[in-house]
Amino acid sequence: MSVLALPDKALRTAVRELPENALAANRQAALARFLERGFPTTRLEDWKYTDLTSIADISQRWLESGAPTATAASVSGRVEEIRAVVGIDWIVIGNGAIVDGTHIAGSEGLSIATFSELKHAPGYEHPLADLNAALLPDGLHIHVHAHSHHDRPLGLLFVDGADSQPGVTQTRVFIELDEGSQAQFVEYHASIGEADHYANSVVELSLAKGASADYVRIQARDGGHTQTHRTAISLQASSTIRYSGFDLGGRLVRNDLDIDIGGKEATVLVGGLYIAGDGQHIDNHVRIDHRVGPARSEQEFRGILGGRCRCVWNGKAIVQPGADGTDAEQSNHNLLLSERAEIDAKPELEIYADEVKCSHGTTVGQIDDAALFYLRSRGLDKQDAMRALTRAFGASIVSHSPIAAVADHLTEIVERRLTALTEDSDA
Amino acid sequence: MSTETENIESLVNRRYEHGFVTDIDSDSLPPGLDEGVVRAISARKNEPEFMLEWRLRAYRLWLEMREPNWAHVHYPPIDFNKISYFSAPKSDKDRPKSLDEVDPKLLETYDKLGIPLHERARLAGVAVDAVFDSVSVATTFKEKLSEAGVIFCSFSEAVENHPELVQKYLGTVVPQRDNFYAALNSAVFSDGSFVYVPKGVRCPMELSTYFRINAANTGQFERTLIVADEGSYVSYLEGCTAPMRDENQLHAAVVELVAFEGAEIKYSTVQNWYPGDENGKGGIYNFVTKRGDCRGANSKISWTQVETGSAITWKYPSCILRGDNSVGEFYSVAVANNFQQADTGTKMIHIGRNTRSTIVSKGISAGRAQNAYRGLVRVMPQARDARNHTQCDSLLIGKDCGAHTFPYMEIRNPSARIEHEATTSKISADQLFYCRQRGISEEDAVNMIVNGFCKEVFKELPMEFAVEAQALLNVSLEGAVG
Amino acid sequence: MLEIKDLKASTGDTPILNGVSLSVKAGEVHAIMGPNGSGKSTLAQVIAGHDDYAVTGGSVEYKGRDLLELEPEERARDGIFLGFQYPVEIPGVNNAYLLKAALNAKRKHHGLDEIDAFEFLKLAKEKMVLLGMDPKFLNRGVNEGFSGGEKKRNEILQMAMLEPDLAILDETDSGLDIDALKAVAHGINSLRSPDRAIVLVTHYQRLLDYVEPDVVHVLSAGRILRSGDKSLALELEEKGYDWVKEAANA
Repeated sequence: MSVLALPDKALRTAVRELPENALAANRQAALARFLERGFPTTRLEDWKYTDLTSIADISQRWLESGAPTATAASVSGRVEEIRAVVGIDWIVIGNGAIVDGTHIAGSEGLSIATFSELKHAPGYEHPLADLNAALLPDGLHIHVHAHSHHDRPLGLLFVDGADSQPGVTQTRVFIELDEGSQAQFVEYHASIGEADHYANSVVELSLAKGASADYVRIQARDGGHTQTHRTAISLQASSTIRYSGFDLGGRLVRNDLDIDIGGKEATVLVGGLYIAGDGQHIDNHVRIDHRVGPARSEQEFRGILGGRCRCVWNGKAIVQPGADGTDAEQSNHNLLLSERAEIDAKPELEIYADEVKCSHGTTVGQIDDAALFYLRSRGLDKQDAMRALTRAFGASIVSHSPIAAVADHLTEIVERRLTALTEDSDA
Repeated sequence: MSTETENIESLVNRRYEHGFVTDIDSDSLPPGLDEGVVRAISARKNEPEFMLEWRLRAYRLWLEMREPNWAHVHYPPIDFNKISYFSAPKSDKDRPKSLDEVDPKLLETYDKLGIPLHERARLAGVAVDAVFDSVSVATTFKEKLSEAGVIFCSFSEAVENHPELVQKYLGTVVPQRDNFYAALNSAVFSDGSFVYVPKGVRCPMELSTYFRINAANTGQFERTLIVADEGSYVSYLEGCTAPMRDENQLHAAVVELVAFEGAEIKYSTVQNWYPGDENGKGGIYNFVTKRGDCRGANSKISWTQVETGSAITWKYPSCILRGDNSVGEFYSVAVANNFQQADTGTKMIHIGRNTRSTIVSKGISAGRAQNAYRGLVRVMPQARDARNHTQCDSLLIGKDCGAHTFPYMEIRNPSARIEHEATTSKISADQLFYCRQRGISEEDAVNMIVNGFCKEVFKELPMEFAVEAQALLNVSLEGAVG
Repeated sequence: MLEIKDLKASTGDTPILNGVSLSVKAGEVHAIMGPNGSGKSTLAQVIAGHDDYAVTGGSVEYKGRDLLELEPEERARDGIFLGFQYPVEIPGVNNAYLLKAALNAKRKHHGLDEIDAFEFLKLAKEKMVLLGMDPKFLNRGVNEGFSGGEKKRNEILQMAMLEPDLAILDETDSGLDIDALKAVAHGINSLRSPDRAIVLVTHYQRLLDYVEPDVVHVLSAGRILRSGDKSLALELEEKGYDWVKEAANA
């Protein structure tokens, strides 16, 4: 069996050279675990459609060139661009270093600190979370105090990349929402630079009883860059998460969203839109574990594929024994615009309780001929009609995105991406 | 009613009278598997050289393969060296002498299925006199088929009488290396069925293993090959609703179907091997590879299955839609009760243009059983205008069972239209009360609701089979509610 | 025919019926009215034998026998029909099949042969014409995808086919437009006979414009507060339920 491993010695050295702080012991434990297993391979069912060879290759070249760390300053141009168009409070993590945003810490009902300050050991035991914990300089801990309500969204801006040498960065954020609190978050992934880059990030959200979070993740990396991203959300009784993910960029992107329902009357609403063009591989895996019922989860993902690309969607709902009153719905719809696009869809249900309502629906298709004809008969030219219908296909996910402050920006970048895509597909 | 149908019905009614046709010397091979065993099997069956070579190649491939480890199927490891790969039917002295010696529970089941007394003895393996009063019936049947030019015989007979056909088609749909159990079957298969329908012929009757001389005791490694030449049609029925006892725990059959241009094959199965007792003891492991190849344009292969038996069922009757405009269908009812595990589904591989597939899967879980649908729909880049519709429904009866759906869709052509839907439900207390308020007993109400749930699949079965299948379902789920 | 004495019933720990007494004779039509949550539907369900409700006191006699001892299907076969407020959908099981199974279960109970298929179809179609129903209904799944009005008509069709001795119709008029209401009322009236008793459970009196009751009862908080003739229904319509409650408390 082929193994995607990284050279032991160079990796150990890279870990040793990280800033000395409270995370050191945890890094060693995570490293040992990563060395034992390496990168997951396509032999594993969950990674069947995700070949990480190119990521292993970037990592290897990065290690060979002495595991350089690009500075946070080198990405400031991109950071300013985003700040200019999305006017919310941003905490910036540039090339893995937490550079800005601690000023927000003072605001009422919210504490922000680093893992090392709090001696918070990042968890591992999941593929790639091991690597993240081993190479993590430091993580960001956000604590929303009980019963505090925050109407202004907090932004997390992850920007990486460099011009000359291949880069690898690790980012980790832990968000803790105490009982009855409410907050909004925008997580933005972007990159710059000519060199190959691999960004590996982990975000964890823990919602206590009655807490509620609105969350928008936007991934708009540059075309040559790769990422693996894991989001783990745990919910206690009567808590609610409204989550939307948008994947517009990147060469190889793998997102894992794991949601653990551990309390009654929890609500999970997930939306996702992926738009892929030439040379892109975008992979979304969603796992919703209903351990306790009654609770409700709903997820809808839509994909628009053009050029030579491949997208993967794997949605899984698990209903554990005794989780009666579970209501789990998942749907996935894909629009294929090109001869060379591939979609692999895998909607799964694993059900071990009988008082449940579960369903999933998946479709793959193309723009409805009747609608296209209708628009053309009203005078639109074919390309405009195609674009209008393609936009309409993605619009429901954009319009259901839970944070108003980023709605305009989202609409704009989705529109821009679609225009590029439909033009490519016409050519 | 036409006389032809009457004939068939009378055949159906007399089917269990056949008894054993041949009495092979009871010189079973000792347990264990090596090249010598493969050679011995081939020699015992007087096979030509090409068959021996084919078996040996399969055996060598098998040696290098690893036993699969399925994520959702659990059973103790199988010791392949403890299996006897060639065993003659049990001689009369080893069998129960009369029905009094047979497990009363089995007899009770026969009673519920309404199986006539004289058939029960044969099914339960009681030594009965092999009276050949039915030879004439079989002869009439064979004459009719040969008039039409249809070849329908045991696999051994086909190897003997039609070696050129066997050599031409064997392993062309399920290659020896396809999977661990297909390779094992290819090396050691005991017997099975062979059908060839010539060009333009519509097979004059439903072909059923009931009618086939030598059908008895084809053993644990059965092999079936059906070839439908251009423009022909055949409907084949496999299995039997009466629960079959078998000493062999492992069953690894292979079925290959080839449909040429404009041909249609309809393959219906009722599988009711011994599922083990209500505590999960015993029962058959049924690991089957079934695949159909729509090799010509406008061809059609349709699988319909009702799976109620076996401790573990692992099978995915599949269609390779190679010919343009070819059609693949899969209709399945899988019932798992007590400790049964069913992992079944299909693969539809769209290669030709304008190919269509339909999947309807109905899984019923009761007791502590686990029932999984696993399916693949793949649309290759050259398969323009492919269509698939998949409907997967699960019905849960009770708190301790599981229902799982693992569909894979791999779509590489933008003109494909693929729709997949899945639902999970249970028999609700409200539905039961409603029926009971109308005077219908709880048990009848459950049967009624379950049969309603399976209706789309049952309507694909030939009539007599459908009626039997319904009765079987009711017996299989007995005691599941309440 | 039906003799209810001091009936008490609860669901879980919540008492719903707190001592209902009611006597229904053959040939009579009774209307049970009352505000939401008064226990009307519970009374209907208890008579039909739903196990969500536990009988905690009192007695119910039907045709001189202890009804509470019988299973729901035994009650049905012996002539009790409940028209459900919310008829359940049973996907895949067609209407004709259910009707025939129900009819035969009853016939068998009375020592009769099963009805033959032709006879059954003829009978069903006759009744459907009477109720203004499209015969295609027979081949549809039981209540599957039916509108509210179609479900209620379907209940009446079943009643017409099963010819019960005691029919309890739970809010059969709710959610019906005027045409459907008339069709349903016509169905009920055509079943009125000296050997049959009908109990209408309803919130409003508009059904009673078309099906004239012999006795009207007002149920509130699990007790019958008042009984009277059909004028009571009209009075209720005018003065509201609070009037009865106040009068009872006075």
